[in-house]
This record gives sequence, structure tokens and C-alpha cells, in this order.
Amino acid sequence: MVFALRTASVVAFLLLWEWAARVPISFNFPSPGATLTALIALVRSGALLSATVTSLQSLLLGFGGAVVVGVPLGLVMGVVRPVGRVARVYLDVLIALPTAALIPLVILSFGINIASSAVIVFVFSAPFVAMNAYGGVRDVRPRLVEMAQAFDASWGQLVTRIVLPSALPMVMAGLRYGLSRAFVGLIVAELLLSPFGLGRLIMMSRSMFEHDRMFATVLWTLLLAGAALTALARLEARLLRWRA
Amino acid sequence: MAAPAPVPIVVDGVSKAFGPVQALVDIHLRVRAGEFLSLIGPSGCGKTTLLKTLAGLVPADAGRVVVGDRVVRGPGRECSVVFQDFALLPWATVQKNVEFGLLLRGVPAAERAGTARRAIGKVGLAGFEEAYPAQLSGGMQQRVGLARALAVSPQVLLMDEPFASIDEQTRRLFQDDLLRLWSEERKTVVLVTHSMEEAIYLSDRVVVLSPRPGRVQQELDVPLPRPRETADVRATADFARLVDGLWKILRKLQ
Repeated sequence: MVFALRTASVVAFLLLWEWAARVPISFNFPSPGATLTALIALVRSGALLSATVTSLQSLLLGFGGAVVVGVPLGLVMGVVRPVGRVARVYLDVLIALPTAALIPLVILSFGINIASSAVIVFVFSAPFVAMNAYGGVRDVRPRLVEMAQAFDASWGQLVTRIVLPSALPMVMAGLRYGLSRAFVGLIVAELLLSPFGLGRLIMMSRSMFEHDRMFATVLWTLLLAGAALTALARLEARLLRWRA
Repeated sequence: MAAPAPVPIVVDGVSKAFGPVQALVDIHLRVRAGEFLSLIGPSGCGKTTLLKTLAGLVPADAGRVVVGDRVVRGPGRECSVVFQDFALLPWATVQKNVEFGLLLRGVPAAERAGTARRAIGKVGLAGFEEAYPAQLSGGMQQRVGLARALAVSPQVLLMDEPFASIDEQTRRLFQDDLLRLWSEERKTVVLVTHSMEEAIYLSDRVVVLSPRPGRVQQELDVPLPRPRETADVRATADFARLVDGLWKILRKLQ
């Protein structure tokens, strides 16, 4: 049933796209076929691969940093309440802020290079990762803490045996959300600031009016993001199989 | 699991307030070693607070609690608590849940596994070691809670309305199993309940608390013969008379 619906939705999307290209909505609008041809050409020339490698470096650096900083930060915020109450104001601001507005600031600080794309990716994703970890700790059932206390658990045991496992579902949800935000941040950074990777390929194709190449690159980025999110969802399902 | 000898509990002038609300006032209570005692009273009479004070989870404002020869200042090894809502770790299997208390006390893994398996067998859940709590019925989940409490070989079992969220048929079977386990292991049991039948059926003695602030209103001995789980005690006239007597005390408190 799910499989049938999934297939049907993909087919419907392709049909709609094909129809939009034939109308045409705009003479620049490439058909699915043309996009696929351009995609194959991009893969063959190696341009797509090298752009992907460049982009993934920024992504891994930025998102990796968001996980390494965001998860512990959120957990500490939850366990040490005063820290949480102070830090959440900053996170709220970072979340509400149109993050793209920070880009000039980041360029000024880090220069035009892969590192500044990574910084943008980090700023896009880290607040969400941290906020979810924080929420996960706040969601811990007080009864479970009481139960562990009745067995005379130490503070360290409470954190590792009750708080962390309780927070894990929210932490994982935060990682998934943070990863999608990381992809958004990556493309925004590469379009608006550092001319590297997939964003650069999109920009170049657009300025040369090679809209089929541009579409192919966008499609490729979507596929990458989809694959990464699916992998993360698999990991989540394994870690949280007790929820089934 | 050699059952250690049961110990008595002495509650000496315990009072407890939560902010402006006086929960317990000058509670005096003696629970004999190996006795099965129930605390009953209207909602808000502080019976759960009293139980938590015995467990060392809620410090008393005044007075003291002595379990065995230890003055209670925090949770201790003599006591295990069984919670109304089971308080199972949803991410852990039955086996790991039952091992939890042993794990916290630093018992080595191999010994933990064996002890937990025996406790699981005792409560009738053999074969469910690898199930997760969400896959079990309420009654089975509470059996896990009981197995977890028994696994650490406590001398005192503190039960906070353990059967309240379990359906009637399951509850009766479970009560019989609890009586059988209790007669085998001879632990001091303090049970908080709001069911008069349950209090009479299980206990040697029932203590009635008055509401807000909680005081010991009356104590009622239950001289029904044991073992009760094999005889049809619920159908006897004595049982009905005791439940009725308890009701008359409680009715005056409403």
C-alpha cells in the first residue's frame, strides 16, 4: 500500500513536470527527459562528482560540528536548568533570525572558503539540534527518576541510565531536522557567498542559461538530501526499535 | 536468592508539609517484621506521601522513620518500591528492566542476568525476557515492576497502589500470586490502596488515615486465616463483615 502510493506520487510528479515543460510554463523550463540527459552528462564529465565532494565536505564539517556541539549543549541545558534558561534565549534568537542575513558577517570573519560554508551550515542546523536535545531532557518522566532514586541511584547513574535514554527519541528527531536544515544552509551559503560545490554549479548553469543543467543539479541535491535523511531515519529506527 | 530475614518499621511522630499544605501530622506506626500492612484512606490523605517517606524518597519535616536498625535519611537497600504506573524503562527489555536495580548497585553482569531471570520466573513471566514493556498488558507490566523490586532481595516491599491500573480479573490473580510470593519470601510489606476488599484480603492489619492533614485514624486487625489464596476467603461471612467494618470507618471520614 505504502509502496504503491509512493510510486504513484513519483509518477504523478513526473507527469506534472512533463506537462509543465510542454505547456510550456516558460520556454526556459526543461522537461524531465532533458534534465535527465543533462544529469547523465554532468555525471560523465565528473563536474557533478567534484562539486558533490566539495559540498559534502562543508556539510559534514558544519553538520558534524552541529551534532558535536548541539547535542551536548542541549543535554547540559536540560540537566543544569539555569544554563538552559539562559542559553535558550540565544537559541530562540538564532532560530527566529533569518539566518541568511548572517552570511556577510560570516564572510567577513572567515573569508571566502569552504570553512565559511561549513559555518553557515552549522548556524542553520545547530540551534535545532540543541533545542531538541534540550526538549528531550525536559520530557524525562519524573516517575522514572523517582524509581531510580528509590534504588539509590547516583547523580551520574540518573543521567546515563534515565535521562540520556529518555532524551534519545527527541535527540534523533533533532538530528533529522538539523540535517535537512544543514542542506538548506549548504545551498544558501554556496549560492550567496562562497562559490563552491553544488551551489556554484547551480549558479553557473543559470548564468549560462543552461537550465537543464541547473535543474539536474537541483534534482541531484534533492536526491542527496533524501538519501542522507533516509539513512538517518534507518539509524533512528534501529536505535529506537523498542517503540514499535 | 536467599531471602534475608524481614525487618520491622517504626514511624515515630512523622509530619510533612508541602508548602502551605499539611500532608501528614504526627504519624506513629509500627510495622512488625514480616507483617503485611495496608494504608488506606480517602484521596489526599497522604498515604502515598507516607509510603515515600518510608522509602526515603520524601524527607520528613519532623519525626523519624526506622527500617530495621537504620534511621531513614534517604533510599536504602532494605526497601524496594513498586509504583502504581509501573515506572518501567520503555527502551529496555523485561530482562533489562528487572536487572535495573542490580545494575545500579553494581552487581556483575552474569550474576545480574541469573538473578533477574529467577525473579522473572517467580512472577510468572518466564519466556517474556526479551519483550519490551509496550508489548505487555498492564498486569504483565506490573509483574515486571514486582520482579524488579524482588530482584534486589529487599527485606521490605513498599507498594504504591500497585493494582490500581489493572483490570479486575487480572488483579485478583495477581493478588493471589503476591500472597503466595509473600508467604514464600516473608518480607515486610506496606501496601497503599484505596480498595477496601484488597486491603482486607491481603493484609494482617489495615491502617486508616484521615484526610488533610493525614493522621492515623484507626487500625484494624484482619484475623482471617492464611493461606487465603487457596481458600475461598472472599466468599466468607468474616471477610464481608471486615470489609463492612472498614467501610463504616471510611464513611465517617468522607
